[in-house]
Parts: sequence; structure tokens; C-alpha cells
Amino acid sequence: MAEDHNSHKIQAIHRELHSHLPPEPALRVKALESLLVEKGLLDPQTVDAWIEVFTEEIGPKRGATVVAKAWTDPAFKARLLADGTAAITELGFEGWASGHLKVVENTQEVHNLVVCTLCSCYPISILGVPPNWYKTAAYRARAVRDPRGVLAEFGETLPAEVEVRVWDSTSELRYMVLPQRPAGTDGWDEATLAGLVTRNAMIGTARDLTPRKEPG
Amino acid sequence: MDGIHDLGGKQGFGPIDVGEKEEPFHEAWEARLLGIVRGMSRVAPWSIDWFRHVRELIDPVDYLTRPYYDQWLQTYAAMMVNSGVATVDELASGKSAAAIADLPPPAPPSAVAGATGNMARFDRESTARSRFAVGDLVRTHVHAAPGHTRLPQYARGCRGTVTGFHGAHILPDASALGEERAEPLYTVAFAATELWPEARASRDRVYLDLWESYLEPA
Repeated sequence: MAEDHNSHKIQAIHRELHSHLPPEPALRVKALESLLVEKGLLDPQTVDAWIEVFTEEIGPKRGATVVAKAWTDPAFKARLLADGTAAITELGFEGWASGHLKVVENTQEVHNLVVCTLCSCYPISILGVPPNWYKTAAYRARAVRDPRGVLAEFGETLPAEVEVRVWDSTSELRYMVLPQRPAGTDGWDEATLAGLVTRNAMIGTARDLTPRKEPG
Repeated sequence: MDGIHDLGGKQGFGPIDVGEKEEPFHEAWEARLLGIVRGMSRVAPWSIDWFRHVRELIDPVDYLTRPYYDQWLQTYAAMMVNSGVATVDELASGKSAAAIADLPPPAPPSAVAGATGNMARFDRESTARSRFAVGDLVRTHVHAAPGHTRLPQYARGCRGTVTGFHGAHILPDASALGEERAEPLYTVAFAATELWPEARASRDRVYLDLWESYLEPA
């Protein structure tokens, strides 16, 4: 099909759509799906299958598995930090928005925080679909300018001597934070450790993963 | 473009909803829209950069107030109208007025399991010499491209240090105009004190991935 890339034409189309599409998002989605099915561009059962994938299979549990493996296997951790995409592919977690995965490591001296100020880039194949707050104007505006204020809202007060590194996802590189393994977890197996790893810790809006009590 | 989407550092936005329930979708229509986007046949050459630019062109009031997946819907609808895949009337009514000729059948549900691992890469072979090396001091341009660009306003005209080189990646500014052109891509670290007037004593840094044509030697 012919394709032109005229910004003014797109703005005019946006205005027309704004005036003519149904008033509620749910109704707009319903109309879009009916149209695509009728045109032969979409099988509604394929939509169901994708929803199931993002509900059951692709989510932050994958990222937690990666983190726990990095905590217990130094060779894997080295590979993960050198080439995130190759390392997650070893675990079968490659996919959407992870073709250039960069893993950044928290230490005693450094805390990492991930944002996308220009849209909402996120390593979907290992963390699942992003939370709403990650996509809000408030997070996108504030994370680069007031990361410590944002972290405080999430309950993390960082000492002044810890350096904050904010990663603004402006290219097709996608960022995931490797949190610090908490003290008091010596001898824990990978599955138990993975249970400690939260989604927010892999975005960088959480830091301290110290367990509240011993497992079992 | 200096659009409403370029939100980094804008002041006046309030607290973040840190108590948001941790579930992939909060509304059924959100899940439906994501499934539609993943499952639909692509009959026009829509690049990720074109998608982003079309989203950036949403009316600024709508951009700040409409839910995220609703903006995706608006963006796909606009791309479909622009490419001749559908008309505004068809998108409003949900009824097709004209068939598309010679279409392959849409992806069946059985294809989903094999598609979850599909991974696009944006780096390209290039013989071009990179102008900068890790450790170099660089300055970003004061003005960005009039169309789509990935140099945010808050980091324009600023001095930073190259901390990473990633080979040649597709340049979004050109890709959003339908041209695939690769250019050296770098990670550049900026001191918070370089970016923000209030960051006086901070040692914090902000890292951005920036293409070579966004930069000059500092």
C-alpha cells in the first residue's frame, strides 16, 4: 500500500478521528476489532491467545528468574551484563522489545532507575506489559529530574553517597536493573530467591529486597 | 519536534500512583487492544518510529488525558487511515465498506506460541567510521530535527561523556520519514548538574542513547 509520512496530514486525521470515533475507549476498541475481523485482517481467537500470553506467560516472573540466576551463577551474571539479549535467550525469554537488552547492576555505591521520557519503552519480553504509572506523564517528567523524590514516593530513601543513574530509553536498547542480593539469603535456591525479586526492583523504583521473614 | 510527548523534566506533575494493583491489564478493553495490535495483519510498512511519531502528533490535550492503550488505538487508527487500510467512517462504525484485495489469511491462534519469541533488531552492518569513542566529551545540538527525533529537549545543548558505543543503529529521524539509514549510536552520560539548575550538589547522572548526528565534539 502507498505510504506517505506527512505530519500535517496525520494531525488532520487525528482531529477527524477525535470527532467521529465512539466516545468510550471500550466502544472504540470494539469497533476497531469488528472492522479488522470483517476486513480479514484479524482472527478474534488470536486476540484471546495473545491476551493469555501476556496474562499467564510473559511477565515479571521471567525477570525475577533472570535475577535469581545471576545472583547464584557468576558466569551467567557476567554473560548477562555483557549481552543481556544473549543471556535471556539462554532461558527462552527472548521476544518483544528485547532485541538489545542492557542490564545495569545496582551496588552499594550505585542505584539505577529506568524511564522512557519520550514514550514508554520497556523490556516487555522479560517484565511483561509495563505498569500504568511507568507510562504516566508524572513518572516520565519527574524520573530524570527528581529521581530521589520519585524513589521516596516508592518508599526508598537513598543516602546521599549512593549515586543515582537514570537510564532514559531513547533508542531501541532496553534497560533492566539487576538489584542487589539481600543479606541473609545465603544458601537459598534460585526459586526461593526469585520470589524476593519485585517488578519495581527491576525498573529501579525499589532497591532493598531484604526478606521480611525466613522462608518456610 | 517540540511536542507534548517530550516530557522529561517538565515540572508541575503530581505524585505517582505507587499503590497501583500489579496486574497486566486493569480494563478488559486494554487487554483486547493489546491482543489486536499483536494479532492483526500488517498490510502497510509501519515502522516503530513512524508509530511513535504518529502518537506524538495526537492533539496535546488528548495526549495528556487519554489512557495509554486508547492512544495506541488512536495511533493505529490514524496509520490505517493514512495508509488507505480503513476510512474514518469504517473505524467509527466498525463496518467494512470495501474489501482489501489479495489478502493472506490473518494469523491463527496456533501461530501465537511460535511468535512470542520474535525479536526485532535495529543494528545494521556499517563500514562508516564512528566519530566518537568511549571517554570523549560531546555536546548535543541545541535544535533537534523538525519531525521525529529521539533527542529530548531537556538534553539539548548539553555536555556529556560517551560511556558506550553500540555500532550503527537505524536512525529514528529518517525511519519516521520512511527511510532506513543506520548511524553510530552511543550512550552518553550527563551530570544532573549539567541538566538541572537545582541539582547543585548532586553526583547523580542521566544516561541517554544518542545517534551521532545529534552530537558534536565538546
